[in-house]
Amino acid sequence: MAARKGLSKRQKRTILIQWAFLTPQLVLFVGLTIVPFFVALPILFTDMAQFNDPQINPVGFRNFVALFTDPSVQRDYLPALQRTLVFVVLNYSTVYIFGLSLALLMYEVGFKGGFFTVIYLPLMVSGLAVGYMAVMLFAKETGTANLLLLKLKVISQAIDIYSREGTAFILPLLVGWRYAGYNMAIFLTGLLGIPQETIEASIVDGASYLQRLFRVYFPQMWPSFILATTMCLIGSFAVFDELVAMGALYVNPEAKLLSILFFTYGFQVERLAMGMTLSVETFVPLVILGVALQRLQRRLQY
Amino acid sequence: MANAEKRTRPAAKGLTISWRRRLLRVFAVLVMVIYSIVTIFPFYALFVRSFVPTKESTQLHLWIPEAEEVRMDREVGNLAVFYDLDLNDMKKALGIPPTDFLMARTTLQEVAEKYNIPEEKIKEYFAGFYTYNGWKTLLRGTDFWGAIRRTIFVAGISLVLMIALSICTGYGLAGLVRRDQMLVYNLYLLQMVIPAMLILLPQYMLVQRILGLFPGYAAKGPTRQILQLIGLILINIKGTALSTMIFTSAISGIPKEIEESAFIDGANPLQYIRHILLPLLKVPIISLVVIQLPAFYNQFLEPYVYLDPDNSTLLPLIQTVAGQFSTNFQVIYSAIFASVVPLIIVYLLFRRFFVEGVMAGAIKG
Repeated sequence: MAARKGLSKRQKRTILIQWAFLTPQLVLFVGLTIVPFFVALPILFTDMAQFNDPQINPVGFRNFVALFTDPSVQRDYLPALQRTLVFVVLNYSTVYIFGLSLALLMYEVGFKGGFFTVIYLPLMVSGLAVGYMAVMLFAKETGTANLLLLKLKVISQAIDIYSREGTAFILPLLVGWRYAGYNMAIFLTGLLGIPQETIEASIVDGASYLQRLFRVYFPQMWPSFILATTMCLIGSFAVFDELVAMGALYVNPEAKLLSILFFTYGFQVERLAMGMTLSVETFVPLVILGVALQRLQRRLQY
Repeated sequence: MANAEKRTRPAAKGLTISWRRRLLRVFAVLVMVIYSIVTIFPFYALFVRSFVPTKESTQLHLWIPEAEEVRMDREVGNLAVFYDLDLNDMKKALGIPPTDFLMARTTLQEVAEKYNIPEEKIKEYFAGFYTYNGWKTLLRGTDFWGAIRRTIFVAGISLVLMIALSICTGYGLAGLVRRDQMLVYNLYLLQMVIPAMLILLPQYMLVQRILGLFPGYAAKGPTRQILQLIGLILINIKGTALSTMIFTSAISGIPKEIEESAFIDGANPLQYIRHILLPLLKVPIISLVVIQLPAFYNQFLEPYVYLDPDNSTLLPLIQTVAGQFSTNFQVIYSAIFASVVPLIIVYLLFRRFFVEGVMAGAIKG
């Protein structure tokens, strides 16, 4: 108890040394991640239009309520929000369709490095390249996948990536394909952590595969599920590169998700303060949700 | 007791179980083989499409198409617009005075007649023009090599500095025994849930203001270029949730006695990190490299925003090329393929480390 009040000379030295070592990166981290928030705060209450706006006037809470009152903002925001939510839902399902299924299959065959190498390969491809690959595969008249599937008579009509449904389905498909290896690794780690005896026991007791999944595997993999959910949720809202490649900044309005909207408000259409406010309104609840998920995951892990 | 009885039930049941298991295994292998083929197909298609001229792209090509000859009645303007024919280069190669203006509707035939150039010479210049057009335009008409150089420069320096700084952070946080250490650790964890898009606009504003303080930043030139690259590197090395988690837990796992005995032998903290910690941290370092290397190499948003077009890294360059040659998909696909290949080669060469590193990193989250 006494040691708590007066730290010994050696303890003080240790603390000093530890802070000396963690300060350089901490300064960068706080300066470039946390400080921008506080720099941005006063701007949210102004009509700042661009980064070197000569005349900035205070407007009170106008930017904050614009989402509910200003039709021009609603016209931009609401369709983008809708597309983003559709994307989040579909992209989240690819986490299971690709990631979880592959992890279960891989677990069943025993860990094979060759398969892992191939499945993880798309993660080496940039988001931008994935977007251009989507166009290459599914452009209406020139898409390689379209032409191939038409020839094999799998589909009777070409998929058009620039159409509403085309963008809505192809984008999560390819993003899911890209992250398949990553999600598989998360679930596979969870699976490999399950004690072998519980699995053997369930097999001997005659549990079917499905029973085994829901009664033995999944209950012991909660941390993996939460981690995959957090990563997918944050990643889906931040998806940007793929959209740019699919022409979201100029020609393809169907690919205008929220991230593109914030970008254009800041860099193209001179509504900087509005864009910042909208992004705060959108993302801050998400960050809070993310922190809650993180805590939940840590509690389950220890 | 009841359980124990069940476990020793007749062998007949055991046989069906093992059969079922085997069947499941065959099914699993089959699905994974099909999935692997589907995964590789886009890469193959991309490779082929980088050789398919735009004109033929409405047909299915599963291999590089036969090079069609450029007919003599093709118009120069048409070739320049749809195939990005470099007119200055053509004039030089064919011996046409560079100051002469070629009308867009002029055919190659007319060029040959006007300047008295033998047809063979033109045919020779245009040999393989349609097939290799994308690659030629990419390598000659754009700053591809410069962009590759800058990408490797930024990614390499970012990687080394980030690891060095993250090890220091991990050393400072090791054990997470005090309140202040916990606070710093939780700050870093925030990074995982803050989307890049949320801080992009204010971060850009802040970095621009800071860079603006340096003399010579406003004027185009090497000073501006270097400062921009430094800004980008600083953003890359600021530390992430993953880097902090990996090194903090790895360094916490090293017995305290090792550190104490090193200090008793007269080592200072830097020597301890360099000579004792570093060799012990091979696995976490590999883990971070295999996750961060693709992230740095494939970075688009930040360099797109922070770097001038003439100073850009690979992906922003591709976006610029795509805007500039928007009708020539051959160039775009060549550029995409060229951007994908270097990292894939690295990946295939070091795939063992990637598999190990990713699996080790996935536990940490």
